[in-house]
Amino acid sequence: MLEVRGLEVRYPRSTRPALRGVDLRLDRAKMAVVGSNGSGKTTLIRAILGLVPLAAGSITLAGRDVGRIRGEVGLSTNLPEVYRLLALPIRDLVRVMAALKGGDPGEMDRRLDEFELAEVGDRRFHELSTGQQKLVGDLFAVCFRPALVLLDEPFDNVDFSRRRRLVRLLQDFPGDVLLNTHELDLLASFADWQLALMFEGRLLGPFEVSELDRLYLSRGAPAGALAVLETSLGTFSVTRDGGDRPVKSATSVNALVEALA
Amino acid sequence: MNLWRSYAKAMLTNASLWFWAVAFMVFWLAIGAFLQSSGVGSSHSAVTAYTSAWYAVIVLIALSLLAAAIAGSFAYGSASLAYAFRWSRLTPKGYLASIVGGSAVLGLVLNVVLLGATAGIFGARFSAAIVPADALGLVGVSMLGGVFFLALAATLALVAIDYLGLRSSNFVGYVPLLLSFVLGNAQTDVALPRWVIYGSPFNDLTSLLYQGYSGTTPTVELGTSSVALAWPFLLVGLLAWTCLLVATTLLLLRRIRARSIEEGRQI
Repeated sequence: MLEVRGLEVRYPRSTRPALRGVDLRLDRAKMAVVGSNGSGKTTLIRAILGLVPLAAGSITLAGRDVGRIRGEVGLSTNLPEVYRLLALPIRDLVRVMAALKGGDPGEMDRRLDEFELAEVGDRRFHELSTGQQKLVGDLFAVCFRPALVLLDEPFDNVDFSRRRRLVRLLQDFPGDVLLNTHELDLLASFADWQLALMFEGRLLGPFEVSELDRLYLSRGAPAGALAVLETSLGTFSVTRDGGDRPVKSATSVNALVEALA
Repeated sequence: MNLWRSYAKAMLTNASLWFWAVAFMVFWLAIGAFLQSSGVGSSHSAVTAYTSAWYAVIVLIALSLLAAAIAGSFAYGSASLAYAFRWSRLTPKGYLASIVGGSAVLGLVLNVVLLGATAGIFGARFSAAIVPADALGLVGVSMLGGVFFLALAATLALVAIDYLGLRSSNFVGYVPLLLSFVLGNAQTDVALPRWVIYGSPFNDLTSLLYQGYSGTTPTVELGTSSVALAWPFLLVGLLAWTCLLVATTLLLLRRIRARSIEEGRQI
């Protein structure tokens, strides 16, 4: 179980925190975090991974502070920098990562075959196309039986046919998943997942992806709002069954916020 | 695949490393043998001493080039290491053991190649068989030297990653090379005091390599007389520095910070 409480992350020379007051709980569940570019989604994943220092708050996994975990809990990600331990061909990198994660390299080989990526085995990570890098990172993330998978824009630059395969893979994945995306139209594939919205480092939710049709973003703070958010662009609220703009009406959260602001 | 085997393989198949740490060093051995040897006496002992001094300095510089390459790799891998220490079975101790193993293997291979090149090039120049007196001892010393330079490079790189920022790592990567060049050459050109040689791991290493190749004890000038350097003190000095730096590397690895390689850009 992942539990994030009062999380705040600040980057040097940044005027506002990258994350502030983030609370999140994921227990035998899958959640999509939707937000604009630069809203803090990737920072949230990096904070959970222990790759950025926390200014405030705590992150626990299976009841243990993530800062104190040393390999006892399975967590995986598709962030590419994580797989740059050595400048090795993918085939060798699979064997190294499997050994480090205590998994079967054959599992990753099968996934690469399944996604028609067997030919990348002789190439190094940086020699792959952008889409191939993303897919190889996605497959590394779900392999070797992690308890929790963190995915940052897993569909970016991935072609349509492989996107469908990846959706099926994530739907069937037996563990917890936290998936970042700014593509609202993708969410229809994950109707039974939880949903959270991220604006300027604040996380709103959880909602249900299935209720996406009923969620609206409104200016101001009307009575009965599900969540109110002060941003640099003004005050916004998430409301149900009525409001200024249906969340689903925009192709991305960027467009939604810009339209309202 | 074991991590140390992956490291050894990655380093042994690194064409750039082979060029700078081997081919470029062989070029300098040829310069030493054919262009700078005019003042060397014709006696076998003089030729052997001259050859051994060149061999010792060249191995020192080759290993320091290896150190510069390793320091760069730490900068590229800081995020993956920070991640791996938390979310995989990899521990800082295990990782350090892997790269120590890989560096010892590379130090061994570099030494065997440079040993052969030195004997061949200087043998051809002086038309004599100038073979190492203690090849097995040289293998051991060069492996220890490989580990020393790895630990030195890792310590400097990790200080930059953990505390100074990656912009500094571009410069600290050259520190082993600069120290090797200054201290290695100083021993052949200047009468360094005995305490400097015993206390300096660079000079410990060159002195041990010199003794292993020539079979004679290196000396230091003291006024009008010369005093022999005791190899056990040299070995203890090198071992002590290596252990200290390995321990420091381990401490720094445990608190490694994930840095973006882009932080290292100077302009």
